[in-house]
Amino acid sequence: MEPLQTWLVQLLEQDNPVAPIMRTAWGWPIMESLHFVGLSLLVGAVGIFDLRLLGVGRRIPMAAVRRLVPWGLGGFGLSILTGITFLMTEPNQYIYNPAFLLKVVFMMVAGVNAAIFAVTPFGRLLPDNGGATPRSAKVIATVSLCLWVATILSGRLITFYRPGVCDPNETRVVATCLP
Amino acid sequence: MSLDPFLLWLESTSLSTWVREEPSIYAFPLILSLHTIGLGFVAGINAVIALRILGVGGSIPIAELRRFMPVMWASFWLNAISGIVLLIAYPTKGLTNPVFYLKLLLIAGGVVLIRYIAPRVFVGDAAGEEAAARMRPMAWAALVCWVGAIFAGRLLAYTHSRLLQGM
Repeated sequence: MEPLQTWLVQLLEQDNPVAPIMRTAWGWPIMESLHFVGLSLLVGAVGIFDLRLLGVGRRIPMAAVRRLVPWGLGGFGLSILTGITFLMTEPNQYIYNPAFLLKVVFMMVAGVNAAIFAVTPFGRLLPDNGGATPRSAKVIATVSLCLWVATILSGRLITFYRPGVCDPNETRVVATCLP
Repeated sequence: MSLDPFLLWLESTSLSTWVREEPSIYAFPLILSLHTIGLGFVAGINAVIALRILGVGGSIPIAELRRFMPVMWASFWLNAISGIVLLIAYPTKGLTNPVFYLKLLLIAGGVVLIRYIAPRVFVGDAAGEEAAARMRPMAWAALVCWVGAIFAGRLLAYTHSRLLQGM
């Protein structure tokens, strides 16, 4: 993983128009605020969707609750875009940060989990109104809720796991320090 | 009357010192993380209710959204408590910053609005829809309050003039 990490940092460190804007007085705070607005939209939409699968608000037809999905994706997109601006400004503070790497893993698993729901019959076989949700869909909903909470948790912890300088005598699979 | 002696006393309490100085990830970092998770559910659920009033997901029976209110309020109290603990850790940082009072004002606005909106739209399906049509300005105001509270909260890290009395 370390060569990939080094390559990513070099790629992100190349002259880009984003970093100078981010380093102005308002750049970083505004992007952070938008990152949290995106997070809230995602949690609101996905949270209500998953809780509906778990049986909260059973009278809401599944077709209706699906209308929230584009808003969840919109919130996710806003957080990804603003997240990329942090990455482009201080790449080595993220690419070598264990909390950030864990956060990426949580998001990827959450993506796979959502894709499983979207492409398998689990999602389509849901009773539209009132009935009990199949166990498979409940498992997916629980996993989804846990992963998004874990994503926020690891994201918030990034600042407490800033990478230090690596020990040159140590070999590593994943670098969680500055080589 | 100066606030300083009170702030100095608050900073010297064992809870304040513990949250500030305990190096464990289960102290300050965990409390901050809980505050962020709660934020997602409070602002998120309020936003979905406001968006539904504004016409998003029109096929969602509006009265049924009341089922998510316990989650919203539980998250709200999680954030009230974690927020008070964070304030006790750094009372000078928050209480001497006008942005902190703006954040409280925006949260109060959001709470007043949802307490006004909820009993009117979370009634029978037809009556709820009828009420929702009249709640559009309130829904817009609620969105402004929650987005504003997020911005103000985030800006607290950048706008404080003093961190602690002793500094």
